[in-house]
Amino acid sequence: MAGKGIGARLLRKEDDRHLHGRGRFVGDMAPSGMKEVAFVRSPVAHARIRRIVKPEGAEDRVFTLDDLTGVKLIRANSKLPTYKPSDYPVLATGKVRFVGEPIAMCVGDTRAEAEDLAQEVVVDFEDLPPVADMLKAREPGAALVHEQWGSNIALETWRDDDIDAVAAKAAFKVTQECRMARQAMVPMEGKGVLAEWDERQGQLIVHTSTQVPHLIRSGLAEHLGIEERQVRVIAPDVGGGFGFKCVLQPEEVAVCWLARKTRSPIRYLEDRREHLTAAANAREHHYTVTAYTDQRGKILAIDAVVHVDVGAYSVWPFTSCLEAAQAGGNLPGPYIIPTYRVHTYTMATNKPPLSPYRGVARPSVCFAMDLTIDAIARAVGREPYEVRLENLVPASAMPYTNITKKFFDSGDYPESLKRAAKLIGFEAIRERQKKPERDGRLIGVGFATYTEQTAHGTSVFSAWGIPLVPGYEQAMVRLMPDGGLEVRVGVQSHGQGMETTLAQIASEVLTIDPAHISVTHGDTGLTPFSTGTYASRSIVMAGGAVSRASKILVERIMRIGAHLMQVGQADVRVADGRVVGPKSSVDFREIGRVWYKNPEELPANVDLGGVEVTTGYRPNPDTGTFAYSSHAVVVALDPDTGVVELLDYVVVEDCGTMVNPMIVDGQTYGGVAQGIGTALYEEVPYDSEGQPLASTFLDYLLPGATDVPSIRIDHTVSPSPHTEFGIKGMGEGGAIAPPASIANAINDALRPLGAEVNRTPMTPKRVLAAILAAKARKSAA
Amino acid sequence: MKDVTITVNGETIKARVEPRLTLADFLRDQRRLTGTHLGCEQGACGTCTVLLSNEPVRSCLVFAVACDGQPVQSIEGFADDPVMSSLRIAFKEEHALQCGFCTPGMLVTARDIVLRSKDDDEKRVRTELAGNLCRCTGYMGIVSAVRRVIRERLARGPA
Repeated sequence: MAGKGIGARLLRKEDDRHLHGRGRFVGDMAPSGMKEVAFVRSPVAHARIRRIVKPEGAEDRVFTLDDLTGVKLIRANSKLPTYKPSDYPVLATGKVRFVGEPIAMCVGDTRAEAEDLAQEVVVDFEDLPPVADMLKAREPGAALVHEQWGSNIALETWRDDDIDAVAAKAAFKVTQECRMARQAMVPMEGKGVLAEWDERQGQLIVHTSTQVPHLIRSGLAEHLGIEERQVRVIAPDVGGGFGFKCVLQPEEVAVCWLARKTRSPIRYLEDRREHLTAAANAREHHYTVTAYTDQRGKILAIDAVVHVDVGAYSVWPFTSCLEAAQAGGNLPGPYIIPTYRVHTYTMATNKPPLSPYRGVARPSVCFAMDLTIDAIARAVGREPYEVRLENLVPASAMPYTNITKKFFDSGDYPESLKRAAKLIGFEAIRERQKKPERDGRLIGVGFATYTEQTAHGTSVFSAWGIPLVPGYEQAMVRLMPDGGLEVRVGVQSHGQGMETTLAQIASEVLTIDPAHISVTHGDTGLTPFSTGTYASRSIVMAGGAVSRASKILVERIMRIGAHLMQVGQADVRVADGRVVGPKSSVDFREIGRVWYKNPEELPANVDLGGVEVTTGYRPNPDTGTFAYSSHAVVVALDPDTGVVELLDYVVVEDCGTMVNPMIVDGQTYGGVAQGIGTALYEEVPYDSEGQPLASTFLDYLLPGATDVPSIRIDHTVSPSPHTEFGIKGMGEGGAIAPPASIANAINDALRPLGAEVNRTPMTPKRVLAAILAAKARKSAA
Repeated sequence: MKDVTITVNGETIKARVEPRLTLADFLRDQRRLTGTHLGCEQGACGTCTVLLSNEPVRSCLVFAVACDGQPVQSIEGFADDPVMSSLRIAFKEEHALQCGFCTPGMLVTARDIVLRSKDDDEKRVRTELAGNLCRCTGYMGIVSAVRRVIRERLARGPA
């Protein structure tokens, strides 16, 4: 379909319903007889539960783990050698391990009544000392989150190159410490689940706000102890996910158990306080990176120690291993690192379980590595831009296998950085910095470059040994009797616009107008199996599967069309939804009519699969596509208040072939805004007692329209040699670089004062503290 | 329980409500007008914005009993509104929504901004949008769409 297939800036099919308030989210569904639940949650971080007292007369409306017969503890296994799995109870038993951990489930006709009931439940605790900080959690004598482990280390990984030999001949040794705060993911729609038992099907019908409906089906069946055929999971409109909605939530299991037991529809809607304090925690990493370099700042070796605070439990199915496994594997980033030693410690603490958030470990490793690059530049007395350029993998080395065996498929990383420097006006900013600003503010410019391993498949996940490894992604395409097309995929679109882009891919192959293509997703009852939407995989994997299925279907359509025109199949092609022969053409509508309604007209050798195809797809190699990007930012920093303003933000992005450039840009803008949140605003701080100090949007700051500058995007296009149409995944990328680029810009601005920041979020208080510390150092010296 | 009369999208509704029932829950649970979404129930995110007596309010902070005798307009009630129609077109063409959850509240706020604007100054538009949070778009498309509708309206002259 000319102008509507791959590469078209096609407007989105999903917009109209949302613009009229006709989206259908879990919270919008209320079947008759529905009851709602509220959870009694732990007010303390670490304690033994002595006793739970149900309100008198309401014993049958309050449920503890003892009541949930047949429900298993959530145990996410991994094959990684040192990993210690945690038994994550759906409702706390024996101990509570974080503030917000669900203890009891209360049911009422409305949420308000359920909350009233929850307030009457009395829990008697015996306080235990909390483990509130990942570094202190390793100290001898620290309290233990899981006593049977003997320590708080959930996973330890290492790689030991011989650093000493390199260190001896290095001109510079530079050590950079940095810390990324614990934050929350904050999709605007929180978690929601509505479960009801369908007597006719003998099936639990679960509408849940998830990115991974097929995984949740497996998770629910396993943990409820029922067969997978007895569970159908439907993700309706989902109001953002960002990773939070790709793990099984204990509340999901509890609600399903209750719906099956009572045969009533049961709904749970997470409120914002629950979201911020008890559920969607992410990011918290600490790094000590030592770089050994030559005179010019070329890296000879990296020696790193990484700590990740994964909280109290390991999430199903991605486990608590994902962050550290990625941190160790991805720290080298887009740079040539000849020698690499890393030791990672995954620490359990009395905080909510860490879940994978947009970019997973990559925003943290980019922060650590790109701060290190700038630190090297300061040490060797060169421009950070030049040192960065010199250490990037050059285009001439592509494809390139890096030190951790990441296979960079294609691209020109230095060109991306050069373009970013040009677009931001790097030289003009250096000129500007020579004179003081009229308002007394300090100007700084910062860069960061990353690669984003996306759509990594079987080989990568099986090495991590998680419970469910992605394999061949499947899609179904079906020509309808009237020549339209149905596409069915097991991934889930919750803002990414896949109802549009997957139609564009099918249209590219089949030449059917996307207006006549509908995409069904997110329903285990209607779609082929998929592990779902995460790891920037859907457009590569589901898009690839739609392409492959469409290519098989188009052959079948051409065979029927050629027969109807009485010409050879070699003499026909498809265009604009028609099979075109040498002298005539037939509409796909005719093909549909003949297959469905007048089979007597079919050729004798017709494919008995008919005009629908389900097939699987996996790129070869399946180690992932590598999208990449350089970010550049200019900041103005007020040295009296520590307030940072972003004056300009530039992204030079390469995700290979763009299916829909409008949507690619939208994903990038949104990712950068989230990265700005990580860099400057967002944190769930915990006090020494393990109490969360941000529980509302008044103390947990999300970037608003005034906090995000007008972002400028430029593209280069390096198609993947290994995927359908050269597409690469890119959904997470925008969020990866901003903490690093903004920190580098702040440190550039602070350079005249001799101050540096290295910890997110870089709030006015932290910036000011860095300035005051530098002043104190100066006056002491 | 208290009896109230509230005009919702032009329809006069008599209802008996609990004093603690918010306007948002009244619209969503009792009237089944689920286009008004709840993003925080703390009055901070703007997702639940509706018009109460033609002024934008956060329906999670307003009690239904306080709306007695007043007109309420939610996203479902703008079918014939020319500014809302222009905003819907602009939001789609400028890619101002992704997951769609904040969109209804964003549109109600945007319409109010457009009606009061005498220029399309970006900084002012951003400041006025600052009470509505969006987690998906980075506000780029939203700011473009609102500014575009302001310009279109100014070019046409007052309706």
